[in-house]
Amino acid sequence: MESENKNLISHLAAWINWKRFISAALMIFFLTSILFPFYWMVSSSFKTRAEIGGREPVYVPSGLRLDAYKELFDPSNPSYQNFGVNIINTLRVSIPTAFVTVILAVLGSYAIARLRFKGKEFLLNSILIVYLFPGVLLIIPLFAMLAQIGDVFNFDVQDNLGVLMFTYMAQTLPVALYMLTNYFRTIPDEIEQAALIDGCSRVQVIWKVTLPLAIPALISVGIYTFMIAWNEFLYAMVFLNDRFLFTMPIKINTIFNDPTPRPNVVMAASTIMTIPIMILFLALEKYLTEGLTAGGVKG
Amino acid sequence: MAVSAKKGRQSVGHSEVRLAWTLISPTALIVFSLVVFPAIFSIWVSFHDVGLHNLNDVFHAPYVGFQNYKQVFNDYAFKFQSLKSIGAALTSIFYAFSATTLAIVIGTIASLLLNRPFKGRGLARSIFLFPYVAPIVSIAFVWRWILDPRTSGVANDLLMKLNLIDAPKAFLATRGLSLFIVILLDAWRYFPFAMLMILARLQAVDKTLYEAAKVDGANDVQQFFSITLPELRYVIGSTFLLRLMWTFNKFDDIFLYTGGGFGTKTLPVLTYEFSFRLYDFGRGAAAAMILLSILALFMIVYVALVMRKVEN
Repeated sequence: MESENKNLISHLAAWINWKRFISAALMIFFLTSILFPFYWMVSSSFKTRAEIGGREPVYVPSGLRLDAYKELFDPSNPSYQNFGVNIINTLRVSIPTAFVTVILAVLGSYAIARLRFKGKEFLLNSILIVYLFPGVLLIIPLFAMLAQIGDVFNFDVQDNLGVLMFTYMAQTLPVALYMLTNYFRTIPDEIEQAALIDGCSRVQVIWKVTLPLAIPALISVGIYTFMIAWNEFLYAMVFLNDRFLFTMPIKINTIFNDPTPRPNVVMAASTIMTIPIMILFLALEKYLTEGLTAGGVKG
Repeated sequence: MAVSAKKGRQSVGHSEVRLAWTLISPTALIVFSLVVFPAIFSIWVSFHDVGLHNLNDVFHAPYVGFQNYKQVFNDYAFKFQSLKSIGAALTSIFYAFSATTLAIVIGTIASLLLNRPFKGRGLARSIFLFPYVAPIVSIAFVWRWILDPRTSGVANDLLMKLNLIDAPKAFLATRGLSLFIVILLDAWRYFPFAMLMILARLQAVDKTLYEAAKVDGANDVQQFFSITLPELRYVIGSTFLLRLMWTFNKFDDIFLYTGGGFGTKTLPVLTYEFSFRLYDFGRGAAAAMILLSILALFMIVYVALVMRKVEN
């Protein structure tokens, strides 16, 4: 009986070790396959043209050579890319997109969550349409519609960062409305009712009670919309032709498709585009993952 | 007294409605003009001959009935021809289903891995989210550089050193292999979404269920299949639906990896090509409507069959 018990325990011990081994192996597999591409991106950006174009890949660059970055930023470089302009363009689109989206979404989602009015269900359902609709479908009518409006009001649809920002709101506003409506519903109505009874008006209640409570949600929605606009590729590709107005994704695509391939430059530009997003994500992860699981992000 | 109170409340109600409309109208206006109207308008475009020549006068575009749809159905890029070129419709369906399934399987494994406490779990979870958070453009070009067809490509170098392949492979430029690689890359990028959804559900599973099972002598594998998996059914079902929808609609990933070449052309890429390479917006809209119909049909079947079963 005792030996049987002992046997069982040693079996159990073996089983636990085996299980631990599998977990550890899986963990290592996951971590390497996730981190390697990021390592490869950053390390390749520091490689020289000789290291990039050799017969075999160079796993560790010989030093922190800034050749690729010089091509992006140094005007005296023979194939100067003027990437600074692209960074500024991206910021010029993504920051206003985030701001305008958050402001409009706060107003709209508060009304949806708290106030009663006709057409609310219709509005909510039409927001959800965008979850079903491919972006590539919306771009055709948007393009045709904006061309028409541009004709009347005399503005260009293409190469117009303002128009691009406007089209981004087709993607960001539904997401933001959805997330913020969910958030406002979690703030107990009693808090607002108490303030109303104390003689505050609705607008005062929103301004002094609800908004301060919603600041974390506003930050996360703002960051989300910023990230959507920062990463956006398709609309920018269709709406921008002038390389001085290119946002970073389009510029990187252009450098990649250059007749003389320079992966180190592509990787340098990709690194510049990726690092701020990763820092933002790590700094605000707590808020952001909540939004992710709320199904808030389309991607 | 009672009357005036009622009146007072009514005026509050009125001002509330007015406030609601003041708050909602800018948002509603933009949602309507950017989402609802274009959605309806794209149906209209798909039945009309719209190109660059009449884009400025789009509302007078000639009605062509189902001609755009016929052109799409007869397009060699769309229809099934042989097992070697299955056409965009089938490619889309195959790509969306396999990439979604794979992302969910990997996401489930990752979530189980992160569910038990260990040192550095928070950090591991953050790292697991990297592929999903990083910009697709950077991700796509890093993978293209890793999978470079020359010997200088690191994937080719490693596989050749391990003697798994004899000659360098053009991973993203070989019919068949490309679709397989794109599906793998898609799973790599999107498993974190499934992982997060499943992890949130896993942490809500009643721990006493496992204790009871242990008392009954169930081993880990049995516990997984008789407790964990049934508890996860609903979240897996809904995550599958969401991811399938988004994968089916996805344009960026495939366009950046292969440009839609080498047997990886999906319906969104085809829609883009009709619209912005041929500048035939009518045909592009028709392709998009076909995409949407396939998706809608699938959703109805899925919700009717699978989700109902899950609820029961």
